[in-house]
Amino acid sequence: MKRIYLHPLPVRIWHWVNAVSFVVLIVTGLQIRYREILGLMKFREAVDIHNFFGFVLIFNFFIWLVYYIVTGKIRIYIPPLNLKKFVMGSLKQARYYGYGLLMGEQNPHHSTPDNKFNPMQQMAYLAIMLLLIPLQLVSGLLLWDAKRFADFINLAGGIKIVDTVHVFLFLFFLSFIFVHIYLATLGHTATAHIKAMFTGYEELEEEHGH
Amino acid sequence: MSEEKAEKLSGKGTLGLVIFGPILGMFYICLLPLIALMTLLIALPQLATAKKTDILENSAICMGCHSSQEFTKTFRNKEKMSVFVNGNDLKSSVHRFLSCTDCHGKISPNTHPGNSGMYEDRAAFALAMVSACRKCHSDAQLRAKPNHAFLTNKTNGPPCTGCHGAHAIRSIAEWKPASAGNNQYCLTCHSQNISKKHKNGETLSLHIDPSKLASSVHNGHDCSDCHSEYSRNSHPVKEFASSRTHSIAVSEACRRCHPDKYQAVRESIHSKMISEGNLKAPVCTDCHGFHSVGPKETYETLSGVPCRKCHEDIFKLYSKSVHGMAKAKGTHNAPLCYSCHFAHEVKVTAMTEKIKGACLGCHKDAEAAHTKWLPNAALHLSAVACAACHSPGSGKGIYLRLYDRETGEPFTEDQMAKLMGTTAEGLAGKLDPHGDGIESEELWSIVRQMNEKGSGAKVTFFGRMDVSTGAEAHQLSLKKNAVKECENCHSQGSDFFKSVTVAVVKADGRLTRYKAKPEVLGSMFSLLSLKQFYVLGSTRLKVLDWIGILMVFGGMAVPIAHITLRAVTSPIREAKRLNKLRKEGKR
Repeated sequence: MKRIYLHPLPVRIWHWVNAVSFVVLIVTGLQIRYREILGLMKFREAVDIHNFFGFVLIFNFFIWLVYYIVTGKIRIYIPPLNLKKFVMGSLKQARYYGYGLLMGEQNPHHSTPDNKFNPMQQMAYLAIMLLLIPLQLVSGLLLWDAKRFADFINLAGGIKIVDTVHVFLFLFFLSFIFVHIYLATLGHTATAHIKAMFTGYEELEEEHGH
Repeated sequence: MSEEKAEKLSGKGTLGLVIFGPILGMFYICLLPLIALMTLLIALPQLATAKKTDILENSAICMGCHSSQEFTKTFRNKEKMSVFVNGNDLKSSVHRFLSCTDCHGKISPNTHPGNSGMYEDRAAFALAMVSACRKCHSDAQLRAKPNHAFLTNKTNGPPCTGCHGAHAIRSIAEWKPASAGNNQYCLTCHSQNISKKHKNGETLSLHIDPSKLASSVHNGHDCSDCHSEYSRNSHPVKEFASSRTHSIAVSEACRRCHPDKYQAVRESIHSKMISEGNLKAPVCTDCHGFHSVGPKETYETLSGVPCRKCHEDIFKLYSKSVHGMAKAKGTHNAPLCYSCHFAHEVKVTAMTEKIKGACLGCHKDAEAAHTKWLPNAALHLSAVACAACHSPGSGKGIYLRLYDRETGEPFTEDQMAKLMGTTAEGLAGKLDPHGDGIESEELWSIVRQMNEKGSGAKVTFFGRMDVSTGAEAHQLSLKKNAVKECENCHSQGSDFFKSVTVAVVKADGRLTRYKAKPEVLGSMFSLLSLKQFYVLGSTRLKVLDWIGILMVFGGMAVPIAHITLRAVTSPIREAKRLNKLRKEGKR
C-alpha cells in the first residue's frame, strides 16, 4: 500500500488544537448565550473558559499563519489563478460529490503535499482561514474587553453589531463542522483521512492504470 | 426838725400811694399765675403721691375681688379668663394715676359681676377694650408712628393689649430705652405675640423668640444686618402675596454674607424649580429657619437634616440603609443626604455619572475590589449603576438614553425636541405615538428622525441598568447582600430586563421616563437603534436564534442527505464493482 506524508507535524498539532478549541468554544459559547436552556456550568466559568480558549485559538492561528508563510506552503490554499481552470476544477469536484461518488467513480483530486486541496476546498479554506477565522478572532477579542476596545467597536458600528457578527460566524462554524467531519469520512475508507490527521500519512488506494 | 421831717414824709407818702399803688397792684395781678404755677409745681409731687395711693384706694372695692387669683370670667364660647389683677403691676404702670373705671367704664357695682356673657371670646373682649385706650390716645397720636399707623389701619390688627399688655403698661422710656442695643429696640415689639396677614390670608408670626435668636449663629448680628431696610428710624410696611413669596423674598438677605452659597443654590434643581414657578421648592429659610439659624453641624445630623421635611419617603429608605444605620450608630463619616447630593447645589443624580463619583469618593477601593472578582469590571461599572446591585430588593430596569456618538454627550430634552421638530411638551407624542409603550420600530424611528433632522447628528442609544425609582437608590445594603451572580442579568428573561425605559433628561438633570416594550432589546430593529447596547445572554437577537437553528440543521442535513443518496445508490456501485471484477476475471 502506498503512503504519502500529507500532514507535517506542526500542521497536525495546529489542527487538533484548533479542533479541541472549537469544540470547547462552541459548548461554552452556547452556554453563555443560552443560559436558560443549557446548564452545564456557571455563566462565569463558561466565560472564563471561552476567553481562555479564544486566546488559544488566536495563538494557534498565528502558528498556522507563520508556518504556512515561512514554509511557502500557503500556496496550497491559493486557488489556480486561471479562472477557467478553477471553475472547471470546481465543477468537476462538485460533480464528483453529487454524482461520481455515488456511481463509484474515483475522486478527481489526488492530494499531494504540494496540492493538498481540491479547488472547492481551496476556495472554502482560503475564505475560512483568511477571512472568517480572523473576523471571528477579532470580534471575539473586541467583546473580550469591550471597554478597552471601545473605539474599535464604535468603528465597527457598535457592540451589538460586533456581537452579531461573532454569533453569526459561530453558527456558521458550528454548521460547517458537521460537513467537515462528514467529508473527512469520504476517504478510500471512512477513517483514512482521520487517521492521516493523526499520523500524517494518507494511505492511497491501490489503483490500477494510474 | 422832727415835725418837718414827718410832714415831708406824709406829703410824699400820699403821692406815692396814688402813683405807685395801681402799678404795684398790676404787678401783683400779673405775678399771681406765676405764683399759682409755682405753688402747683411744689404741690404736684405731693399730689401725685396722694393719687398713687389713691388708685388702689379708689379701686379698693374692685381689688377686693380682683386681687384674688381664684376668680375667672367665662365668655360666650366657654373660654375662661383669669380676672386676677396684680396690684404691683398696677402700681408700677404709667396708668397708676387712673382708677379702674377710667378704662373699665362700663362696669358699675349694680351690674358687676354677672355680665360675663357680653363678649363672644377673649379676643373680642381685647378688641372692645381698645376703645378704652382711645379715650386718651388719639388716632393722630397713633398714626404718627409708622408701625402703629400700619396696625391701626388694619382691619384685623392686634388689639393694644397684644403688645402693651393690660395692666402692667410701662412708660415709653422703659419700652425703648435709648441706651439699649438695636436688637433690644426691635424686640420691644417683636418679642410680643404679634403677627400679620399675607394677601392670601396666611398668617405670618412677627414674634421672635429672643432665646432662639441668642442661640443662633447670627447672635452677634443686628436685626438690620439682615432686615436692612429697618432701623430705629425706618419701618416700611411690606406686603406679600403668601408665606412662600415672603420666604423667597427674605432669603435674598442671606446673599449679602453668603454669596458663594447663594450662587451654589442658584445652580440647584431647587432654584430652577422656583424660577419655573414651583414655589414649593425650598429656599434658605426652609432649611435653615429664619432666626434660629444653627451652626453647620445642626444640619448634619439624622434629626436635623432638613431634606427630610420634603423627602420623607426617601429618608425612610435611607435610614434603613447601611449608611443610615451607620449614621444612627454615630459613625461620623457615614454619608447623609448632602454627602452625595451636596447641600446647596442640589442636583438630580439619576442618569448621571455624578452619583458614581459620590460613591467612589468614599469607597476609593471599589473599582479595584470589583476588578478582583468581576470580569470586565470597568465595563460593568460604567453600564450598571452602583445601586442596581447594592440596593437589595429594589426594582431594576434598563434605561436607554440618546447620545451623540461623535461627542459622546447625551442629548437633553430640548435638543431632542429640536432635532425631532417639536417642543418638550410634544416629545411624548413623537417618542411614543400610540402611548402604549415604545415599540421596536418606534425606537428605530426616533433614531432615524433625529439623524434626518439633525445637522449631521450621529444619534445612538446607550443603555444602562439602574434601579426602577430614584428612591430605591437609597436602600443600599452591605456588600454581602449585593447582586453577585452573573446569571441574574446574563440570562434571557432576566427580571432586570423586563422594564425598559427611554430616559429623557432635561438640561437641569430632571428625568422623564418613557416606557418601552421589553422586546425592543432583542428585535431586528435593535441592530439599527441599539447598536451600542448589548448584554450577553439577555439582549440577544431573537431572529439570530432562528437563523442559528436553520444553519445547524442545514449543516446536519448535508451529511444526512448525502448518506441517504449513497445508501440509495449503493446497488449501482455494487453492480459496477461486480461488473469490474467480472471484466478483470475475464481478462
